[in-house]
Amino acid sequence: MKNGATIILDWGKLKFFLGEVLRNFSRNTGMQVTAIGTVAITIVLLGLFLFVRGELADVGSRLLDQIEVSAYLHTDVTQAQVTAIAHFLAADPRVASAQFVPKKQALAELRARTRGTIDTALLTENPLPDKFRIKTRVPDDVPAVAASVRRLSGVENVVYGQKIVQRLLQLGAVLRRIGIAVIAVFFAVAGIIISNTIRLTVFARRREIAIMQLVGATGTYIRLPFICEGLLAGVVGALLAVALLAAARVALWPRLLEALPWVQLAAMPLDARLFVAELVAVGAAIGVVASWISVGRHLRT
Amino acid sequence: MKSPLPAMISLRGVTLVYPNGVRALDNVNLEIEKGDFVFLVGDSGTGKSSLLRLLYREARSTAGEIIVDGIRVDRLRRKRVPALRRHLGVVFQDFKLLVDKTVWENVAFAMQVTGAHTRDVMRQVPRVLDLVGLSHKSRMYPGELSGGEQQRAAIARALVNNPKILLCDEPTGNLDPANTTEITALLQRINLKGTTVVVATHNQAVVDRMRRRVVRLADGRITTDEERGYYYLGLGQTQVLSG
Ligand SMILES: Nc1ncnc2c1ncn2[C@@H]1O[C@H](COP(=O)(O)OP(=O)(O)OP(=O)(O)O)[C@@H](O)[C@H]1O
Ligand SMILES: [Mg+2]
Repeated sequence: MKNGATIILDWGKLKFFLGEVLRNFSRNTGMQVTAIGTVAITIVLLGLFLFVRGELADVGSRLLDQIEVSAYLHTDVTQAQVTAIAHFLAADPRVASAQFVPKKQALAELRARTRGTIDTALLTENPLPDKFRIKTRVPDDVPAVAASVRRLSGVENVVYGQKIVQRLLQLGAVLRRIGIAVIAVFFAVAGIIISNTIRLTVFARRREIAIMQLVGATGTYIRLPFICEGLLAGVVGALLAVALLAAARVALWPRLLEALPWVQLAAMPLDARLFVAELVAVGAAIGVVASWISVGRHLRT
Repeated sequence: MKSPLPAMISLRGVTLVYPNGVRALDNVNLEIEKGDFVFLVGDSGTGKSSLLRLLYREARSTAGEIIVDGIRVDRLRRKRVPALRRHLGVVFQDFKLLVDKTVWENVAFAMQVTGAHTRDVMRQVPRVLDLVGLSHKSRMYPGELSGGEQQRAAIARALVNNPKILLCDEPTGNLDPANTTEITALLQRINLKGTTVVVATHNQAVVDRMRRRVVRLADGRITTDEERGYYYLGLGQTQVLSG
């Protein structure tokens, strides 16, 4: 007869429960707005962070792809030495391509690249040496290949942009650490504000809670509306953040492209739908975890 | 002869010492059969409310054995307390109604928060409202009701889950004589339908008019337990207990 803690839902039950959640939610409007706002800021920061990280990874990997080894040859290098070097490179499985660039061609390329900023006509002789331009199959092999080429006779010097790449990667790591620290702080703040909101709701509803406990409502049933309240704050905050991010992208993207023409930014380095789903899930998680902890602490059931 | 049914409520050697050191109950032994109507009387601070609180596990005994409707309350795990409370209805002096809900909603609330089906709520709420005589005021808010009507609403809420036991802590404490008579008659009717009723009270008129079992407490101990007692000792047939 008495169906105790049955889970079977009917429309009346659902309506009653949702009514209680909404009643909770509208209890401390000011606090709710603060909670939602903090979640939104946290999620916006997280979104920006993920976006910038995606861009950096994209730009970085393209830079790494472009990396090549230049092996400069002695000015008095013999044809036999050049051939030997070419054979050596052709035999190395790590090498994707090796191209001999005679000094004339190197000068022409320099002229083309600098396009009049340096007056190459002033040069009385070609100061550039002959070189090999070598690309490896994977960027990681660059240092090893460079080292083995340097040992060959006729090779004067080997140059590759390792330092630049290392700097770039270091910069990325530093930015990531700063980003994670800032976001962690905001997560904590959002969590504290949500749990505080829940505490106020628990206080505002202490009479209802006392009666629920008196008539034998289970601890889970009593907690559920508060968890839902936290969930709602988290999801609404996250949706707000997604809307802000989308608006910012529409408004700022063309200017960013204009301001950083040489970086070749990817229009969207992340899967947009997955990205939105992740942000909303994170917002929901903040809300649920914060309210769970808060209700546990303020409701002794 | 068959062995008697186990008591609806049974306390054996029950002691309650509050965290602040107050010994509210001291070695209490009490058996209440199914269908009994029992008054708990005694001066202020003698432990009447404390005894009731032990029964619905608002307080936990320090020593002794408590059985309510077959449940070992003194050993009950916290998670099982809601199940115990569904066997009991509890009514207080201050009604404890929710002011922003109507009478109907207040009564239905007790069913809804224990996960009852809407179908059962729709059937049960009108039934108890009819029992307490509040059907015509079911859409009113507690603030629009007299004290007696509010207490009737609270009783309806306590009964809506069909408990076998009704515990009342000074149910007429806030009521005038007319409303007191009305509530007393209602409790009697509820008892006649088979519900075990335990009433802690200071109201001499109620106790003396009803002539039911009277358990007297003094300093946390049961001093007398009379089958058809009066509020003041010595007016009825008295069985003095040692202890
Ligand atoms: N929560 C509590 N913590 C500590 N001591 C308490 C608590 N509740 C009651 N007491 C003490 O326990 C004793 C019994 O209190 P109780 O409320 O059971 O008495 P009572 O018989 O119901 O009194 P009254 O007739 O005034 O309602 C009193 O001395 C009281 O001060
Ligand atoms: Mg009392």
